[in-house]
Amino acid sequence: MADADSQSQECETVRELCANGVCIKTTEVEAKLDEGNIQEAESSLREGLSLNFEEARALLGKLEYHRGNVEGALRVFDGIDLQAAIQRLQPSTNENSNSSAVSSSSSTSSKRGRGTRDSQHQHAASLVLEGVYLKAKSLQKLSRFSEAAQNCTNVLDAVGRIFPQGIPEGQVENRLQETISQAVELLPELWKLAGNYQEAMSAYRRALLQSWNLDNACCARIQKAFAVFLLHSGLEAGPPSLGAQVDGAYVPKNNLEEAILLLMVLMRKIHQGTIQWDPSVMDHLMYALSLCNQTPVLSKQLEELKPGVLHRTERWNALALSYSAAGQNKAALNLLRKSLHKHERPDDLTALLLAAKICSEDSHLAAEGVGYAQRAINNAHGEDAHLKGVGLRMLGLCLGKQAKVSSSDFERSRLQSEALKSLDAAISLEQDNADIIFELGLHYAEQRNLKAALSYAKKYVDLTGGSVLKGWRLLALVLSAQQRFSEAQVVTDAALDETAKWEQGPLLRLKAKLETSQSRPMDAIQTYRYLLALVQAQRKSFGPLKIDFQVDDDKVNEFEVWHGLANLYSSLSHWKDVEVCLKKAREMKQYSAELLHTEGKF
Amino acid sequence: MSGSSSSSSSDPDSPRATRVTAVKTSETPPSTSAPDFQPSPTFAPTSETPPPSSASSSSVARSSIQSLSSILSSVPSSLASSPNPSFSLLHDPIISSQISSLLRHPDSGSGDHNLCRWLYDTFHSTDPQLQLVVLRFLPIIAGVYLTRVSRRKSLAGFEAILLALYAHETTARRGQPVTVHVPDLSHSSIYHEAKPSTKTNATELNLAVISSSLEPHGTMRSTKRARIVGVALELYYSKISQLPVTSKIEFCEFCEIWAGQEISNHGDDNNGSNAANKEKRKGRIPLAWELLQPTLRIIGHCLLGPHRNKELYDAASSATKSLYARSLHDIDAKAILATSSLLRLQKMASDPKNNVGYTEIPKVNVITL
Repeated sequence: MADADSQSQECETVRELCANGVCIKTTEVEAKLDEGNIQEAESSLREGLSLNFEEARALLGKLEYHRGNVEGALRVFDGIDLQAAIQRLQPSTNENSNSSAVSSSSSTSSKRGRGTRDSQHQHAASLVLEGVYLKAKSLQKLSRFSEAAQNCTNVLDAVGRIFPQGIPEGQVENRLQETISQAVELLPELWKLAGNYQEAMSAYRRALLQSWNLDNACCARIQKAFAVFLLHSGLEAGPPSLGAQVDGAYVPKNNLEEAILLLMVLMRKIHQGTIQWDPSVMDHLMYALSLCNQTPVLSKQLEELKPGVLHRTERWNALALSYSAAGQNKAALNLLRKSLHKHERPDDLTALLLAAKICSEDSHLAAEGVGYAQRAINNAHGEDAHLKGVGLRMLGLCLGKQAKVSSSDFERSRLQSEALKSLDAAISLEQDNADIIFELGLHYAEQRNLKAALSYAKKYVDLTGGSVLKGWRLLALVLSAQQRFSEAQVVTDAALDETAKWEQGPLLRLKAKLETSQSRPMDAIQTYRYLLALVQAQRKSFGPLKIDFQVDDDKVNEFEVWHGLANLYSSLSHWKDVEVCLKKAREMKQYSAELLHTEGKF
Repeated sequence: MSGSSSSSSSDPDSPRATRVTAVKTSETPPSTSAPDFQPSPTFAPTSETPPPSSASSSSVARSSIQSLSSILSSVPSSLASSPNPSFSLLHDPIISSQISSLLRHPDSGSGDHNLCRWLYDTFHSTDPQLQLVVLRFLPIIAGVYLTRVSRRKSLAGFEAILLALYAHETTARRGQPVTVHVPDLSHSSIYHEAKPSTKTNATELNLAVISSSLEPHGTMRSTKRARIVGVALELYYSKISQLPVTSKIEFCEFCEIWAGQEISNHGDDNNGSNAANKEKRKGRIPLAWELLQPTLRIIGHCLLGPHRNKELYDAASSATKSLYARSLHDIDAKAILATSSLLRLQKMASDPKNNVGYTEIPKVNVITL
C-alpha cells in the first residue's frame, strides 16, 4: 500500500484480486496470462494470496472472464478437474447429513463444530460451482451452447448431491445461492440456444418443480420464460410427470394449459404484490385466453388488477373488448361510455369503433352510435387514416338502424339516404371489403331497390367465394323478392351443396317456402320432412362441444316446420295430416296467432 | 345431395378412403355444384406410386424424388443418394424455390396439375418425413388457394391436398375436439399452493374448445373452406418446430396479403399508385375465426418462439401489424385482443431495455474468492 499515488492514478483501470485478507493488483497476473503462462500466473497467486491450486485457478478464470477473454477463461478452467472437485465434496456432505440426523438433540458445541464445517464445505462448493458456472457462461459466449448446457447441468447435479433434500432456506451462503439461482435460470436458455427444445422443457420443469430456494423475482422470470416457451415453441412435450404432483394438486394436461396456469400464477403474485407489475405477463395471458375463447377469464383478471397498475381507460377498453368478445355487449358499452367520456380518452379510435358497432346492432342505441361513428371519422387521420372507411361503414349501419325506429316518413327517408351515402363513401375507400358489399346489398333490399340489391348480393357471393352462408341466403331472398322463384331455387340448391348437413336448416326452410311459392307442394313436403329430421336430430345430439360457426343467428325451430307442413297439407286437403301436424305444433307453442289462423281455415 | 351423403358416410380412418371418395364424387358430380369444386379423376391411384406400406421409408423417399424430377427442371442428383433423402428434400433450397414458383404460377392448382398430384401422393406415403415436405408448402398452397378462390377457376389440385391434410388430422384426432382446461387458482396446482379457502367443493374448471370436433369432408364445400384450411394449419402448427424457416416466412407474407391492409407509410398512399400495396390488397379474404385462430398461433410462434432468426421475426412483426389493422377493420373484439397483445409483446421484445441478462455476473473491480 506504499505506492498509493500510482494506485490512485490508475484508479479506473486497476483491479485487484483479493483472498485471505491480502490483495494484489491484476496487472502483473494479466501480463503473465497474456504471455500464455497460466502456470506462472497461477503460482504467483498461490504464493501471493496463499491459495491452493483449485482456488488459484478459479480466481484466474474469473479474472479472464471479467476482462472478456472467455477463451482464456476456458483454458484456465480446463486445467482444474471440476468433476473431481465436485465428487470430493460429496462424502463429507453425506457424513454431514448423517451427523445432523444424529446430533439433532446433542450438545451445542458439536452444533457449532458442524456449523463451521458446513460453512467450509459451502465455501469450497461455492468456489467450484462458480467455476463451472463461469465455464458454462464462457462456452455460451463462444456459441458452444450444448457444452455450456452440459456444464450448467453439472452445477445443478452437484447441488442436488450436496443438498439431496433440496436447499434449506436461509442456510446457504449468499454467493453459493446466487450461483445456484443463476445456473437454474441459465440452463433452459442454453438448451433453447442449442436448439434442443426437449431438454429446455425438462430444464424448465426441473427449475420450477424442485426446491432451489429461488427468490421471488428470479422464480417469476423463469415462470414467465417457461410460459412463453410453452405457448410459442410449437413443441407439444406432454404434461409434467405425475411424480411432481403433491397429492390432489392440479396437473396441467398439455402445453397450453400449463402456460395459462403459469401466467395466472404470475398474475396472482402481481395482485398480491410479491412481484412487480410486468405488462408482458398480462399480454401473454390476453393472447392465450383470447385464442381459447376464454375472454370471461380475462375480464376477471383485468378486474382484479390493482388501481394504478394499468391506466383506467386502458383497463376499461380492454375489459370492454373481452366482454364484447364473450357476447356481453351491454356491459362492454357501459365501460366504453366511461372511457369515451370527455374527461377520459374521448378520441380513442378502437373504443369509438367498438362502441359504434355495438350500437349499430340495436335500433334503440343507433342514435348514440351515430355520434361515436362520427367521432371516429373525425379522428381517423395520420397513421389511423386507414380507419376512416370503418368509421363511415359504422355510421351507415347506425343510421340505417336508426331509420327503422324513426317516427316520421320524412325522417326515415332522410336517415336512409344518409346511411346509403355513408356506405357508398365507405366502399369507395375499401373496394374489396366484402362486409360493406353485403351491407349495401341488405340496405338496398330493405328499401326494395332489388336491382341494386341483387348486384351487391352477387358480388358478395363472388368475393367471398361462396364461403359465407348469409351471402347465399341474401341472394336467394332477393331473387325470390323479384318473383324469380326458379332462379332463387337454383341458388338455394347450390348453397345446399356448399353447406355441411348440420348447417342446412335455414336453407331447407327457404327451399320449402320457394317450392310452396311455385305451387309444388309435394316437393315442399319432402323438403319439410328432411328439415324436420334434421331439426330433431340436432335437438338430440347437440353436445356442449359443438360449435356452429355460421348459423348461430338463425336457428330453425321445430314449431315452424310443423306449422309449415300443416299449411301445405291443408292446401292439398289432406285433412288428417293437417290434424296431426297441428297437434304437434300445439305441443310446442300453445298460443300462436299463426296456428289459430291455420286451425280456423281447417 | 348425393355428393354430401356419399362423403359423410365415407370412412375417415384411412387416407385411401378419402382418395377414393374424391374420385367417386367427381364421377357423379352433384347436379348443381359449380364446376370449380370437382376433384379431378387424375388423382386415382396409379401404378407409378409404389404401395407405401411395403417399401422402406428411404426407398419411398427416393421414388418420390424420382417422380419429382419429371416435374421440376432440375433435381440435384445428390438428393436421391443422400442417406436421409426426405430430410434433404425438406431442406433443399433449390427444390423449394422451384416448387414454390410452380405453385405460385397463375395456372397452378387445377385438377390435372402434376405438381399438386405429386404433393398429394407424397402426403399419402406413410413416411412422416415426406409428409413434412408437403406441409412445408402449405403456406403457399393455402395462400394461393384462398386468394384465388373468388376467381372461378378450377383449383381442384389444391383442394385435394387440403382435403388430404384435413382427413389426416380428422383421423389423428378421431374427430374429437381439442380442449383446454383453464384453471381456477383456488385449488392448488403443481406450481402454486392455494390458501385453504372457504370454498372446498370441486374446482371450477373452464373448459375451452381450441378446435371443435371434426366431421369428414370428401369435397371442399365453400362454407367449410375456412374450417378445412384452418384445420390444415393446425396440423402445420403441430409440426412447426420441424419445418424450415423459409416456409414460415412465406406464411407470414401470405398473412399480410390475406389481411389486405396496407400499413400506412405516411403520405405515400395519397397518390394511390403504390403498386405493391395494390397487389397486396387484391388478396384480401374473409378471415373467419376458424381460420384466424390457427393463423395467430403460427404467427405467435414466428414472433415469440425460441428461434433466433431475424428475417422470420421481421416477417412475423409485419404480419402482426397487418392482422391487427385488419381486426380493427372487422371490429372483431377477440381478434383485436389477440393481435394487439402480440403487437405490444413485439414492441417490448424489440426494446433493449427489456433484455437484461440476469444470468450475467456483475462487473467488479475487486475480484474475490
